[in-house]
Amino acid sequence: MAILVLDILTTAAILFAVSAGLLIILGVMKLINFAHGAFLTVGGYMAYLNGAAGLSPWLSIPLAAGVGFLGGLVIERVIVRPLYDRPLDAILATWGLGIVIGQLITLGFGRGVQFAPNPISGTTELFGVDYSAYRLAVAVIAVLLVVALSALLKLTRFGLNARAVIMNERLARGLGIDSTRVRALTFGLGAALACAAGALITPLISVDPNMGLPWLVNSFMLVMVAGVSFPSLLVASLILGGAQVVVSTYANPILGGMTIVVAAALVLRISPKGFSRA
Amino acid sequence: MHDISAAITTRFRVAATGCIIGLLVVAVAPWLLDTYLTNILIRTLFLATVVMTVDILWGSVGILTFGQSAFFGIGAYACGLIFTHYGFGPGWALAGLALGIGVAAVVAAATGWLAFFHGSSPLYASIITLALPIVLTQVIFSGGNFTGSSSGLSGFPTYYWDLRIWFWTAGTFLVLTTTAAWLLVRSDFGRVMVAIRENEERCAYLGIPVSRIKIMLMIASAVIASAAGFGYAAFSNVVAPELASFQLGTEFLIWTALGGRGTLLGPIFAALGIDTMSSWLSGTMPFLWKLLIGVVFVAVIVLLPRGFAPLVGGLFRRILPVRTAGAPARVLVPDTRSRLGQGADDQKPPLRIEHLSRRYGSLSVLTDVTMTGRASHLLGIIGPNGAGKTTLMRCISDGSERSGGKVEINGAEIGRGAPQDIVALGVGRSFQNTNLFDTLTVADCLLLARYRIDGARLFRSSVGIALPEPALDILRATGLDQRLADETGNLSHGMKRGLELAMVLATEPSVLLLDEPTAGLTRPERMVIGKVLGRLTRDYGLCIVLIEHDLDFVREISDRVVVLHQGSILMEGTVDEVVSSELVRSVYAGHHVEAAQ
Repeated sequence: MAILVLDILTTAAILFAVSAGLLIILGVMKLINFAHGAFLTVGGYMAYLNGAAGLSPWLSIPLAAGVGFLGGLVIERVIVRPLYDRPLDAILATWGLGIVIGQLITLGFGRGVQFAPNPISGTTELFGVDYSAYRLAVAVIAVLLVVALSALLKLTRFGLNARAVIMNERLARGLGIDSTRVRALTFGLGAALACAAGALITPLISVDPNMGLPWLVNSFMLVMVAGVSFPSLLVASLILGGAQVVVSTYANPILGGMTIVVAAALVLRISPKGFSRA
Repeated sequence: MHDISAAITTRFRVAATGCIIGLLVVAVAPWLLDTYLTNILIRTLFLATVVMTVDILWGSVGILTFGQSAFFGIGAYACGLIFTHYGFGPGWALAGLALGIGVAAVVAAATGWLAFFHGSSPLYASIITLALPIVLTQVIFSGGNFTGSSSGLSGFPTYYWDLRIWFWTAGTFLVLTTTAAWLLVRSDFGRVMVAIRENEERCAYLGIPVSRIKIMLMIASAVIASAAGFGYAAFSNVVAPELASFQLGTEFLIWTALGGRGTLLGPIFAALGIDTMSSWLSGTMPFLWKLLIGVVFVAVIVLLPRGFAPLVGGLFRRILPVRTAGAPARVLVPDTRSRLGQGADDQKPPLRIEHLSRRYGSLSVLTDVTMTGRASHLLGIIGPNGAGKTTLMRCISDGSERSGGKVEINGAEIGRGAPQDIVALGVGRSFQNTNLFDTLTVADCLLLARYRIDGARLFRSSVGIALPEPALDILRATGLDQRLADETGNLSHGMKRGLELAMVLATEPSVLLLDEPTAGLTRPERMVIGKVLGRLTRDYGLCIVLIEHDLDFVREISDRVVVLHQGSILMEGTVDEVVSSELVRSVYAGHHVEAAQ
């Protein structure tokens, strides 16, 4: 039982960390970044490279975030900016970008599976059971991330501008907020979060050019259900991630793999706004 | 009349010519191609048929679907499973095909029910179509030996026909389905599809059952995709989960986008070209080729949203200037069976509102509004900005809007009905902003408005548009009857208003809701509209509810006036009673109501 609870909590934390970058881009820019999966993959390969270079495994996360931020700024300028008023096309263009990134990685590293070193190996004893120490560390990092992102949105000038753009972009522009800059920074931030998340989860799974895809689908569904707030993303991760763990444990893992997708589709059919009102 | 039927025959002639040319190419091709290429092309022809259905859904109706591969996969697995586990022979083949088509239709209906309902967003529909292939591949994975799990099924008995026969089968299937689709998108029904893509909301308020149409199209394209999948599996003798995967579904989208969405032939040629090239080049440079496709795809989406087809088409037209077989000219005819005003009964009020309220969170926009609209009466609603006038209209015309209370139209409660259901009860609503379909012609718009009553022909166009007399009057008075072939985007503001009113009348309502129908009009234009409204109440017994700021206009045409103030009815009475009321004057002038009392 303790293991089940820990599984649910850590799974929710991982899902939250993985989806955060997608959510912030959707919230501010009103577009869905289908290259999110590829960004996660890039983060994974940063962790792998970092390990191969013999640096401390902890360094891989800030490193991936930095690369993601810079890459995000460039991508926003070249691909995303012309598509602001065509949101469905932006989905397709970012999906195409994901293909391009995936193929570049394949060209560079081959199709094989790689592994990244784990910063904390082994298990810790908690509530009377031995549990993977790194999964617990990821949970702690995810909680810190919620706090940091909420603080960023609530306490900084960028956050205030971003919230203004979320609520009413035209009015925000009328008040002299440079919404183009806010969007560019947001995309950079979203990409940075995605890459960092990729680096974060890599020690738990292996690295290959398609590693981001299943995460893309799940985090897309979570973000749709969550709307545009980080607390409701946390709730969605807990409920749907919890459902996934329960189904995987008591039914079978294949059914577990589609739990989030099916549950999210049904939630949205019943209540089109998802959990965002809760 | 003559040149109109000529235009329609021209279209059928073009379709027949294209079809025959296509069939000839298909007949001759296998003699000219080598075995390797024929082999590849047979598969590609089946895939191109699926891409064609993706273009119908995405290009014509605007449903961005990631899930067409699921139906392809259902057809393929129907073939693989039947031939592997049950039996092989003509009877089994037909049974398998029927099973694949049947299952695909049922799944498509269920998916459509989930994805399309009044108020669903296009994004949500895309999510559902994304979920479908993911769920399906998981089901296949969990099927164990029955479905072959991740490795799929192969080596089942199938027809080892000559390659030429397979090529002819696949090619004929593609040419025939494409011809049908070509006629469909150019028919009257095709106009309705475009209108749904352009402005779904407005379609609903014209009484067009948007969701049902989308679901029907989804089912039809699923059936075609499933049949293609069956053929693909029977030919290639292999089925694998990849055939149902969402990666294949997005690949269909990529081909459609590159070829040019909404052009039908563009995506087919893109599919044929790219898939053939892929099979060729993926041997020598697999990753580079896919990288190239990705780069071109992104560039096309960003720079050439309509794909390559318009470029090629423009080039073709420059070399070979042909007379474009444009939209056939149409004529307006009086609707002799018009029921407009037939049901009017002085005793039973067509509109009855009881204790209606609308809240947004803690903000109350309408509270306890009770009023009655009688036949042959024009009820003016006036009130300062923010009084809740437009919200009231919305609550009458969309059942999901109100927070409490009852609305009855012709004795029937509207319940939680969607706009198109309420139009069916007899409500017609015009909008405050002229809210038309910019790329459609005047005639197309009128045709749309008649969909609820006259339907739309599936593969043909009708020549005459039957309209009730008052609608014709408006069109004549504004000169629109001379501009039927013009796109509505090019009309003047006054003409747009006139067209809007004519469209609403074409739906033959018994309760007419007009939201500032004369805003921005010149005085003569107002007079025309005023006269028509007068006739509608007098001669046709309509109940008209009119929001208007111009008190003089209201005084001229209204029988009774309701004054809304801060979401509740301040006063109801004859025009003179209201205009001379101190209370109303103080509201408009901004004094305290208490002081006036």
